[in-house]
Amino acid sequence: MSIAAETAPRGQPRRGRRIDGWRWGGRIFLVFMLLYTALPMVWMLSTSIKSGFAAMQFPPQLWPDQPTLAAYQKLLDPQNSVGQDFLRFFWNSLIVSTATTVLSVIVAVPAAYAFSRFRFPGRNFLFFAVLLRNMFPAVIFLVPLFILMRAIGLVNTHGSLVLTYLTFGLPLAIWLLKGFYDNIPVQLEQAARIDGATRFQAFVLIVMPLSTPGIIATAIYSFIGAWNEYIYAYTFLSKNEQLTLPVGIQRFFSENTTDFPGLMAASFMMSVPVVVLFLLLQRYFVRALTEGAVKH
Amino acid sequence: MAHVVLKDLVKTYGSFKAVNEVSLTVNDGEFVALVGPSGCGKTTTLNLVAGLTSVTSGDIFIGDQVVNDLDPKDRDIAMVFQNYALYPQKSVYMNLAFPLQMRKLRKDEIDRKVKDAARVLDMTHLLERKPRELSGGQQQRVALGRALVRDPAVFLMDEPLSNLDAKLRVQMRSEIKRFHQDLKATIIYVTHDQLEAVTMADKMAVMNGGYLQQYDTPAQVFAHPVNMFVASFVGSPAMSLIPLEASTANGNTVLTSAEGWSLALSPRNMRKVESASTRKIVLGARHSTIKLHKSAVPGSVPAKAYTVEPTGDVTFVQAFLSGAIVNISVSPDVAVKPDEQIWLEFDQERVHLFDSETEMALKAE
Ligand SMILES: Nc1ncnc2c1ncn2[C@@H]1O[C@H](COP(=O)(O)OP(=O)(O)O)[C@@H](O)[C@H]1O
Ligand SMILES: [Mg+2]
Repeated sequence: MSIAAETAPRGQPRRGRRIDGWRWGGRIFLVFMLLYTALPMVWMLSTSIKSGFAAMQFPPQLWPDQPTLAAYQKLLDPQNSVGQDFLRFFWNSLIVSTATTVLSVIVAVPAAYAFSRFRFPGRNFLFFAVLLRNMFPAVIFLVPLFILMRAIGLVNTHGSLVLTYLTFGLPLAIWLLKGFYDNIPVQLEQAARIDGATRFQAFVLIVMPLSTPGIIATAIYSFIGAWNEYIYAYTFLSKNEQLTLPVGIQRFFSENTTDFPGLMAASFMMSVPVVVLFLLLQRYFVRALTEGAVKH
Repeated sequence: MAHVVLKDLVKTYGSFKAVNEVSLTVNDGEFVALVGPSGCGKTTTLNLVAGLTSVTSGDIFIGDQVVNDLDPKDRDIAMVFQNYALYPQKSVYMNLAFPLQMRKLRKDEIDRKVKDAARVLDMTHLLERKPRELSGGQQQRVALGRALVRDPAVFLMDEPLSNLDAKLRVQMRSEIKRFHQDLKATIIYVTHDQLEAVTMADKMAVMNGGYLQQYDTPAQVFAHPVNMFVASFVGSPAMSLIPLEASTANGNTVLTSAEGWSLALSPRNMRKVESASTRKIVLGARHSTIKLHKSAVPGSVPAKAYTVEPTGDVTFVQAFLSGAIVNISVSPDVAVKPDEQIWLEFDQERVHLFDSETEMALKAE
């Protein structure tokens, strides 16, 4: 390191400058991307603390003169009908997303492990069949799945959404986790089995803990997918008390078109669980995506 | 401790035979090295004994029990892996404790055994570390410790030293040997390094292509290799193998070279050559049994020096002879230059003769 640092500047000033050009180009691009993604969120936040009047003002204010939390109070107040609806949608979304996440992990972990460790007839076929679903846009399955759900009596239940979200989330979850298990040396399990563990104990005691980052990444991915999904929730559920947040917010506020602070406050609160989850677990998420990809 | 018997052991993957009818007996307390080139089926054989791979046919006995259908955990074995296979999330202490926890020992008993093992292997100060915080040599010790903490019937080791640097390897070699002597343990030790097998083992089982070639003491294998494979695999530098042709003149059998010279044989070697099914004979000689001369002497044959490698104690010379490369060791004060004409003299008592078709060593009835 120190030798390189001493010799590099003398030998190659010109090359250093060209690399800097690229680097600055990259930085400017990243700043642009950051603004592009962050500004709408800033706007959402700022509108949510405006009064209804200030939100409609022109020219718009980036930051309100008189910030107010009225919109939040209204949404979180179980006494008023707006609050009741919002809290119910929030709860529904939480149920559906959590169920999707838990089931997704329960299915993906053993499935990925089997694809990674065992050779069985039809293994490759099954693996690619699992991925086949992801080759088509989700809307293609909207009508067929609706008919299917009606036939098995799941329309207007949260179960229909959980099932659907699983078919969307599982392929990537299995793929990601398989990469993880591929990178865990099989000798670790063998050692555990010789040390007195059954196959299942070797998996639970040795392999599972090592794949925690992968499992967490998988869980976050499933949760976010289910939490944000709109089209299927819109199609499969029609009763007001069952709606999930994305549909609920949209439907509810199309009846109150002028309440932009309320809409933005609801949107902001909808993004809170995902952001919190991600901030808490991003360490694992990043490790999952990098380790699964490269480590020996 | 227990003895281990493999009987007509076969393992196939699809149509590929990884292990072919291997039969051998490892006596109680014996150190047996399974040695052969990469891909010859050593690991597969060891995994069969461990129960990590299912047997296609044949039987495995540990003690007097057939263990073919027993789970690894029920075979009372311990194994040291080439990559150590330490549990990365556990501390050294917990790595050593794991086999004991799995066997439901009491906590204080586990603690005592772990600390004993750590003391024996001189790594008490490492107990709280994670495997990734250890050097390769220390990881190796932990792996060894995890095997011996349980006092199993049989130790299985799969190339345990091959990830260490050369110096540490030599040191660990003697430590494992010492460990075997102290514990009187039954050990099956896999290595691709014939030197490890020769230096450490009571017996060596040489494998090639899934077949057991020879199973005997290192001294016997070295002195009497059964075929050309074993002859060239064991010993370093490798035994030189020179293809020649037998011919008979005046009632005497000699070996002639395409280069025009011929080599007289002792009566015993003549009988060996005459017993061959072919006239194409391969002459084998180890580097230390060949004498190098700078001028022709009776019984010597002409060769051409190719490379000269002084190592300090001895100088290794490679020479071309009858289309083959011959290794010779000479004392450092013999000055040989590459491309120089030299003469080689073989020790009739110590040459090996092989049938070039069957590649088997020839015997004098
Ligand atoms: N699970 C497997 N499936 C197919 N072939 C295998 C498997 N395991 C080992 N083999 C093959 O069996 C042969 C012997 O392997 P191995 O016992 O690992 O050799 P080594 O002597 O180097 O330890 C090799 O050719 C290897 O490719
Ligand atoms: Mg091997």
